Amino acid sequence: MTNADIWIMIIGVSIVSVLPRVLPVAFFSRFDFPEILKEWLSYIAPAVLAALTALSIIAPGGSIDISFNNIYILAFIPTIITAIKTRSLFFTLLVGIGTMAILYNLVQL
Amino acid sequence: MQRGELLEGMKDALPIVLGYVPLGFAFGILANEAGMSVVQATAMSILCFTGAGQYIAIGVLQANGAVITAILANILVNMRYFLFSTSLVPFLKDNVPSKIATVLSYGLTDETYAVAFNRYKFKKPTSSYIAGLNITSHISWISSTFLGALSGTLITNTDKMGLGFALPAMYTCLLVLVISKRNDIIVAFIAAALCLWTGYVWPASMQNLSNIIIATVVAATIGVIINDKR
Repeated sequence: MTNADIWIMIIGVSIVSVLPRVLPVAFFSRFDFPEILKEWLSYIAPAVLAALTALSIIAPGGSIDISFNNIYILAFIPTIITAIKTRSLFFTLLVGIGTMAILYNLVQL
Repeated sequence: MQRGELLEGMKDALPIVLGYVPLGFAFGILANEAGMSVVQATAMSILCFTGAGQYIAIGVLQANGAVITAILANILVNMRYFLFSTSLVPFLKDNVPSKIATVLSYGLTDETYAVAFNRYKFKKPTSSYIAGLNITSHISWISSTFLGALSGTLITNTDKMGLGFALPAMYTCLLVLVISKRNDIIVAFIAAALCLWTGYVWPASMQNLSNIIIATVVAATIGVIINDKR
């Protein structure tokens, strides 16, 4: 890609990233959603987060890895326990990052 | 402008910042290596603010691919924002003026969406809160990209500090927080399993994240079907 191509790519990616975020808020706000659609939408957050969690833990390198070599699975256990017990993003991150730091350095030994 | 709401938004953004800084920094380094200038890398983080999408664009650039490839891949990757934005409409409507809500939606990401959605279940949204949350997160993404691109190949190994687990830990906690009824748990398990299965049988979906869209749409639909409270 030339320098100009890179700029075109940045603008293009920007348009397709921004439109799906702003269009629904801009246009759907004047409608009253039927209850069944509201219910369907209420499941979007749990579904997307479950998918993202599963991918980031089970396939951290981009392909599925269910083995003891995958330290993300090991670090996940204390992390989810902390999340359920404390319901605090801060403490969950602290435990998750701390566990990963220890595991990562152990594996390097 | 409500000062308290703004500050609460900024405070809620702090864990997100912790996750974005290493990722933004790494993006800056990679963008630089792939041939982008510091200005271009930073401009991309200002204009796009889509972690996965920007990494994909860099991959295309590095592989000497076409501009249209990067854009098409981003249409797929960013489709989930359409669902996020739509699902916030019932909350924002009547609480935040439509024009302001539209502008602030620019800062919608997986993380800002989940934090906001979780709060709206018990508190009304305000423009000040959204501004505090989204703009703080966006600024951390922009500034870490800038520093990463500037430092170039001066790579510090953030994996050693466990920061590679910042986003997975954040997703895990946000997942726990957004679950409020029995059906949410069922939907979550279906989505997780379906997302991995789709990625397994169709590996390309792992790269363009369409497995997330498929899993989400199917799992949410099953959630509506199995609701026996109607």
